[in-house]
Amino acid sequence: MPAPVSIRALNEIEAKQLLAQAGVRVVPTELARTPDQAVAVCERLGLPAAMKIVSPDVIHKSDVGGVRLDLSSPNEVATAYREMMAQVSHRLPRARIDGVAMQPMAESGGVEVIVGVSVDPQFGHVVMCGLGGILVEVLHDVSFRLLPVDRREACRMLTELRGAAVLHGIRGKAAVNIEALADLIVAVSNLVFARTEIREIDLNPILAYADGAVAVDARVLLEEP
Amino acid sequence: MSRWRTALERAFEAQTVAVVGDKMMNGFLWLRALQNFSGKLYSVQIDPNEIPAIEALGVLNVLSLDAIPEPIDYVIVAVPRTVAPRVVADCGRLHVGAAMLFTAGFSETGDPEGLRLEQEIGRIAAQNGLLIVGPNCMGLANPSRGLCNFPGQNTGAAAAGPCGFFGQSGTHTITSILRAPVEGVGISKAVSFGNAIVADAVDYLDYLAHDDETKVIAGYVEGVRRGREFFETLRATTPHKPVVLWKGGLTEAGQRAIFSHTAALATPEAVWTGMLRQAGAIGVDSQDELFDVTRVLLADMPAQGIGAGLIAMTGGPSVALTDAFCRAGLRVPLLSDESYKTLSEFFQVVGGSFRNPLDAGGTIAMGLRSDNLGRLLDVLNTDTAIDLVTVDLGLGLAIDRWLEYPQLAAALTDILEDYSRRRIKPLSVIADAPQRPVESARLRDDLRRRGVLTFASAPRAARALRLTTDYYTWRHEAAGL
Repeated sequence: MPAPVSIRALNEIEAKQLLAQAGVRVVPTELARTPDQAVAVCERLGLPAAMKIVSPDVIHKSDVGGVRLDLSSPNEVATAYREMMAQVSHRLPRARIDGVAMQPMAESGGVEVIVGVSVDPQFGHVVMCGLGGILVEVLHDVSFRLLPVDRREACRMLTELRGAAVLHGIRGKAAVNIEALADLIVAVSNLVFARTEIREIDLNPILAYADGAVAVDARVLLEEP
Repeated sequence: MSRWRTALERAFEAQTVAVVGDKMMNGFLWLRALQNFSGKLYSVQIDPNEIPAIEALGVLNVLSLDAIPEPIDYVIVAVPRTVAPRVVADCGRLHVGAAMLFTAGFSETGDPEGLRLEQEIGRIAAQNGLLIVGPNCMGLANPSRGLCNFPGQNTGAAAAGPCGFFGQSGTHTITSILRAPVEGVGISKAVSFGNAIVADAVDYLDYLAHDDETKVIAGYVEGVRRGREFFETLRATTPHKPVVLWKGGLTEAGQRAIFSHTAALATPEAVWTGMLRQAGAIGVDSQDELFDVTRVLLADMPAQGIGAGLIAMTGGPSVALTDAFCRAGLRVPLLSDESYKTLSEFFQVVGGSFRNPLDAGGTIAMGLRSDNLGRLLDVLNTDTAIDLVTVDLGLGLAIDRWLEYPQLAAALTDILEDYSRRRIKPLSVIADAPQRPVESARLRDDLRRRGVLTFASAPRAARALRLTTDYYTWRHEAAGL
């Protein structure tokens, strides 16, 4: 019998720290535990801001009122904090709540991309990229590779997407920086290749622009001995 | 190097083969399969009711493996599962090259006794360093030596050739070998490996990758146990030897985690497809496709790009041909001004058109003006927009006329043979009259024998050409590293 292992999900702050250290550009995100802290954080990082609940017991944040977007003033931030705490504790009275993750709203106009990692029962760790956002599980426009991948392989993953034309710029939009996306895939691949205790990663969405790509949300699942 | 390469070499090139337990109830499957075996064949059978019939087949029967004087290179075990461990132990003690277990009823049944027996056999094999092929399989085939794994398979030099095959399924392996001569594909070595308790898909792939007679590898797998090693072996092979893989069971729904989108999207099919692309292997979805792709690879004439020059005989098939090629991701580009100028000098525009596809019914006139086919091929072979050429012979309309006046068809097929042999650009021919399947197959067979790449339909041609062109592009890029 294999030794029992425990699986732990990093919270968003920890997940982004891990990825940032690995060279992935992430939207700066900080933990706030009070309305005042939330206001202070977004005065430093910039408004408008997004606020997301941080709790080991909440997997689907928006289902329990744990996501607020486009908060544009300190007042709105403080009010949103109080409302979020009330809503989440009302819906999940026993949930442990660590606070909220505050981050500036990402610049509009990017193409939503997903990059992730999971473990295949036959082949071990695999890395995936695709056209992301909330439609990813409907469109299934994704490509996979075994780890590790180099930049050329990452470029191939992107160009074989059915909707690759979106990345090359449609309807007057500038093409996104494919090399930056490929570098991001390689950085994720290298991170997991070095740290095999990582079981799953979701970077969804990543916003890809003409001048680079930045991960807006990050989820990481670890195996612990 | 795979642990079993040397042992597999000995078994595939066997001088002496023993069949243990073949019997009348099985129709003497194995002894009949081996009736053209070029080495020494023994039957091991202790049942006095079976022995006279075995001897009537002209096979020497002995009462135990120990009674065989020569070293035994390959043993076919066809005994009941409860007896199998004892036979395997004998094989180990006698240092045979390999024991193949046709015997079934092991882990594939899910029953505990089957699982226990399989583990026992695995243990005995490990203790003796014995190569086991299977169990629950049809084992090895080497047509050039008359080593067959089903009756009716062709043997000798005519059946031998450059295609190696490994298959998890016995039926797919046997029927591929039986089908190969009809496709004009010669088999170097083939193996059905079933439950693969000792040597597995990685070992067989490795063997074929290093077998000099094998130039193209085709395979059928359902699951791969050592996934990572399988991938590494594939990736090491494809730059110098193409591998075509048909995977069964891709659509089965697996149980998957719900934490991440990535894990939810990592279906067996999605991961397999990515793995094949990364390894430079060619994935196919059926035995038809496996043979279509293998035949293109064996023609060994890489297209330099995806621009297709198409020739059809009438309007509807021209359109269908274009649709099939574009759907498969190939391009049907306009030709150069110079090409159109040349074409205008002899092309019959009435009842035809010459953009691309060249709707050339009037120009070729079912063979009455066969020399015009050569002129059309010259134009496409010269035009730099064109990487590969496909001709639909319009057999549905022409076949009765050609059966009546064979010289008309012969004039065209002579030209197609000549251009195929000159190997200027990859040339393929679609020839099928659904109302005359036998005659169509005969015509395709005749073309194949003369070195012309043929297909039964435009979609099959297009798909095989696309898959192989992708492979050649990948190989070209991989070589540029």
